[in-house]
Amino acid sequence: MIKNYLKTAWRNIIHNKFYATINVAGLTFGLVIGMFMLLWVQDELSFDTFNKKGPEIYRIGIVGGTDVSKQIFNYIIAPVVTFAKNELPEVKDGVRIMNIGDTPFKYKDKTFMEDGVAFADASYFSVFDFHLIAGDNKNPFPDNNSVVITRTVAKKYFGNDEAVGKTVILGKNESLKVTGVVEDYPANSSIKYNILLPVSRFNQLAYIKNNMNYNGTGRISSMDADWINFDFETYLLLKPNTNISQLEKKLQAIHERNKPDDAPVPYLAQPLFKMHLYKTDGSNGGIETVRIFGIVAILILIIACINYVNLSTARSLLRAKEVSMRKIIGAGKLQLFIQFMVETTVLFLIATALSILLMYLLMPFYNDFSGKQLTLAITNYKIWVYIVITLIGTLAASSVYPALLLSSFEPLKALKGKVTAGIGNAAFRRVLVVLQFTVSIVLIIGTLIIGKQLSYIRNKNLGFDKTNVLSFPMRDMQKHFDAVKVDLLKQPGVLSVTSGGGNIIDNNGWTGDNDWDGKPAKANLILHPMPIDKDFINFFSIKLKQGNGFTGAVADSNHFILNEAAISAMGLKDPIGKNIRIQKTRGTIIGVVKDYHYMSMRKKIEPAVLTYNPQNSYVIYIKTSGNDAQKAIAAAKRSWKQYNSDVPFTYSFLDESFDKLYKADERTGGLFNVFSAIAIVISCLGLFGLATYSAQVKTREIGIRKVLGASVTGIIRLLATEFILLIIIAIFIAVPVAWYTMDKWLQDYAYKITITAWVFIFAGAGATFIALATISVQSVKAALANPVKSLRSE
Amino acid sequence: MIKITNLEKFYRTEEVETIALNKLSIEIATGEFVAIMGPSGCGKSTLLNILGMLDDPDAGSYVFNDIEVAHFTERKRADLRKHNIGFVFQSFNLIDELTVFENVELPLIYTGVAASERVKRVEEVLDKMQIMHRRNHYPQQLSGGQQQRVAIARAVVNKPKLILADEPTGNLDSSNGNDVMELLTDLNEQGTTIIMVTHSEHDARYSHRIIRLLDGQSVMENIMV
Repeated sequence: MIKNYLKTAWRNIIHNKFYATINVAGLTFGLVIGMFMLLWVQDELSFDTFNKKGPEIYRIGIVGGTDVSKQIFNYIIAPVVTFAKNELPEVKDGVRIMNIGDTPFKYKDKTFMEDGVAFADASYFSVFDFHLIAGDNKNPFPDNNSVVITRTVAKKYFGNDEAVGKTVILGKNESLKVTGVVEDYPANSSIKYNILLPVSRFNQLAYIKNNMNYNGTGRISSMDADWINFDFETYLLLKPNTNISQLEKKLQAIHERNKPDDAPVPYLAQPLFKMHLYKTDGSNGGIETVRIFGIVAILILIIACINYVNLSTARSLLRAKEVSMRKIIGAGKLQLFIQFMVETTVLFLIATALSILLMYLLMPFYNDFSGKQLTLAITNYKIWVYIVITLIGTLAASSVYPALLLSSFEPLKALKGKVTAGIGNAAFRRVLVVLQFTVSIVLIIGTLIIGKQLSYIRNKNLGFDKTNVLSFPMRDMQKHFDAVKVDLLKQPGVLSVTSGGGNIIDNNGWTGDNDWDGKPAKANLILHPMPIDKDFINFFSIKLKQGNGFTGAVADSNHFILNEAAISAMGLKDPIGKNIRIQKTRGTIIGVVKDYHYMSMRKKIEPAVLTYNPQNSYVIYIKTSGNDAQKAIAAAKRSWKQYNSDVPFTYSFLDESFDKLYKADERTGGLFNVFSAIAIVISCLGLFGLATYSAQVKTREIGIRKVLGASVTGIIRLLATEFILLIIIAIFIAVPVAWYTMDKWLQDYAYKITITAWVFIFAGAGATFIALATISVQSVKAALANPVKSLRSE
Repeated sequence: MIKITNLEKFYRTEEVETIALNKLSIEIATGEFVAIMGPSGCGKSTLLNILGMLDDPDAGSYVFNDIEVAHFTERKRADLRKHNIGFVFQSFNLIDELTVFENVELPLIYTGVAASERVKRVEEVLDKMQIMHRRNHYPQQLSGGQQQRVAIARAVVNKPKLILADEPTGNLDSSNGNDVMELLTDLNEQGTTIIMVTHSEHDARYSHRIIRLLDGQSVMENIMV
C-alpha cells in the first residue's frame, strides 16, 4: 500500500513539474530562512549555558546616581566579594575580573597587541566551566608572576611547543611565566579573556609597590580595603535556592557599612544565563531582537506552509476526478488522507534535502552576515533538535489541511465537476492570503523603519566632528606628546592634533564622587569625565555654549567644563564660576558645552565633565585632510616607532569605531532586509498559485463574459479585484501591528526617528504593486484565452 | 438482488425543488441484465447513483441482497460498495498517473488483497479483456475502446455481484461500442448482474429488460426476447 502511495506521489510530482517546482522552491526558501533564523535564536538563547554551575552564578551590579543620573553599573568595588564570602553563608565563591584593555605581549621576537587581558581570581577556572588543558586547575596561579592563556594564544606564541613554563613579557618588562593553558572559549560565552593574570598581582602592583590609590585619609592599603574604585566585573557562586533580593540587600548593607557616604547604593544580582539578553536590572536587552527574530522565523515558516496549502488546494480542483474514482472503487477516507499526506511528505523530503544542502552551502555567508559561528555539525544535537522540530512542525502545518480537503470530496459531485467553485473553503483560503500579506507588509514596514533609524544614527549631528580623525592610545608617546604634536603638525595631511583620556565615540568612564555649590543633601550625580588637552574642544568643533575653553594655563587644572546635561542634572542656574569638586580636585566651572554624543545613541546624553589633564589624555586624535590620510598615518607610525619600538602600531578612524558601535544594529537591519525579501517572494508564490486557481475556476465565467463582449481589461479587473481587496485588508491589519512592534523596538534608542505615515503608504503600495504584478500573469493569460475553447471544455 | 420501493429523491436550490425520483419501485433479480432508458433529466443517473450507493435517497426503501441500505452511513455504504459493485462510466475515469495494470489493481489494494494474489487476478482479468499487452501503458496512450476495456477490467477485478454502467459506449465509435457490449454480455452470462443506463436502443437490445423512466417514474418495462 505504501509503495503505491509513494509511486503515485512521485508520478504526481513528475507530471506536474511546474507546480512541484513552485511548491518545493517555496518550502525550501521558507525552511532555509526559517531554520537559519531559529538557529540564530537558539544560539542567542544558549549564551553561557555551557556553564554547569550557571544556574547558581550571578553577576553583581550596582545602581549609581539619583534621579536623572541614575544608572546601572556592572563594575563594582573589590572588597565586596571578600566580605560576602566571609559573612554570607549562601555565597560559595566569587570571581572578580578586571579588564586591562589592549596590552602588548612579547615572546622572543614575537610581539602582539593583545585585547582581552584581565586580572582574575583563581576561582575563574572553577566557578565557570573554563578548564585548564595544561597546568593545575586547582592552582592556576602559583605566584603573582603567573599567566594563563588560551589555546589559540598559546599556539600563536609557541606554535606546537609546550606553553607551560615559557616566559613572556607583558608591556615593557614585566616578566611572566605561563602556568596554564585554558581551552578556547565557546562562541556563546559572554566571558572571553585570552590572557589572565592573578588579581593578587594587581594588588601587589597597585596597592603595595606603586600605590596611587588614595581615599579621604591616605593611601589605601590593599584592594580589599579599596571602597572607592569600581573596577571589577564580579560574579558570585551561590547555594541553590538563595533568596536573591535578600542577597542584594545584604551586599548593599556590606557596602554601606564600610562606605556610609555612598548610601544608598542598591545592589543587583543578575543570573549568568540572563546576562547576554537582559540588562542588569532584568529589563529587556537583546531578548527583544531574539523574540522578534523567533516570531519572524515562525511567521516565515507559516507563510511557506500557507503557500503550500494554497497551491495544493487550488490544484486539488484538478484531482477531484481521481479522488472520486478512488472513492468509488473502494478507497476509504483514511486511505486517501494517508495518500495525500504521503504526497506532501515526499515533496517535503525533497525540500528538506535541498534546504539542508543549501544551509551547508550558505552557512559561511550567513555566519559572516550575522556575526555568528554556527555549524551544522552532527554532534551539535541542539541544533538538530531545532531543525527536526521545525521540519515536523512545518510538515504537519502544510499537509493536514490539503489532505483532509482532498480526502473529503463527495465522489459524485467531484466526478461531475460540481465541486469546482466550492473546493475547500474559499473564505479560509482568503484568510490565509490576508495573513501572508499581513506578515509580509509588517516585515516591509519593519525593514523600512530599521533602515531609517540606522541611517538616522549614521547621519545624526553628533555635536562633534568625527570625520577623517584617526586615533590610538599613545603609550610611551604620551610623555612626549607636545613634541609629537609639533612634529605631526608639520607633516602633509595632518590638519590638527589633540589628545583625550578616553574614546570620544564611546566614553564609559564615570565617577559619582563629586560636590558643588548647592548640591542637595541626598543627591548622587554620576558624571562621565573626559580628561582633555587644550585643543580638544576646537579640534572636534564642540560648541561652547557659555564661558570659555581651556587655554593650557596652570590654572586650568582646577577648571571644569560641563555639558548641558550635567548643568541641568545639577540644577545650576548660572553655572560659570560656581565651585565644584570632582574626586579630589576642587575648582570652578569655567564653561558649558552643548551636549554631544559620546556614547551609543541607545543612551541619552548623560552628564559629562571635561577636565584639563594632559597627563591622563592617553589617546591621540589626528585630523587628516582626507586625501592625504595615508601620509598622516605614515607620519603617526613613524612617531609611534620612535617611542614604542617594540609594540605593533594599531590605529582606527573614528568613523570606523562609530560604525562598530552600531555593528549589531546594522546586522539586524541586514538580516531583516533578507527576511522580508524572502517573505515577499514566498507570499507571491502563494498568490500566484491562488491566481492560477481563480483563473481556472472562472474559465467558464470568463468565456461567457467574453462571448457577451467583455474587454480584456475588464476581465483582468474582475480577476484582480478580489486579491487587491485582500491585500488592502492585509495592509489595514499590518499597519497597527507594525507600528506597535517598531515603536517598541525604537524605545531602545534614546534618539530615534518618529514613525511617519509615508512608511506605511510606501510599504502598502509596494506590496500591492508586487501582488498585482504576480496576479496579472495569470489574469492576462485567462483574459486573452479563446472563449470558445473554455466553453467547449466544459 | 435489488428491491426499491417508493424511492424518492429531490434536488433543491434556494427557490426550486426538482423531483428526480418520484415514488419509484423496481425489482431486479440476481443475474439479470437491465437497461435503463429515458430522456435527459428523467432520473436515470440519479437512480444509478443510488443503486451504486454513491448517493442516498430522500425517502423510500432500498434493499440490496436482503439488507436495507437506504439509510446506511457513508462508511457502511462504501464498504458494501467496494465488495459488491463495479462501475463503468461513459468517460472511463481512469487515473492518469497510474498504468493500466495499476488502475486495475487499485480496487484490490483498497479491499486489502495480498500483493501476489493481486498480480494474479489483475493479469487474469487483463487477459480476459485482451489488453494484457498494454499493461504498462498509461491511459493517455490508449484508444477510447482500450480505455473502456481497462475500465471494465477495473470494475470486475474484485468479482462484484453487480456492475453499474453509465452509458458505457457513449464515447466510443460503434465497433468499439459493440466490443464493450459483448464484454458486458459475457460477464452477465458468467453470473454478474448488470444495470446499464443508456440512450442507445442498439445497446439496450443486449439487455434482458428495459426500464423506461420519465419524470422520475417508471413508465414502461420491455422484456426482451
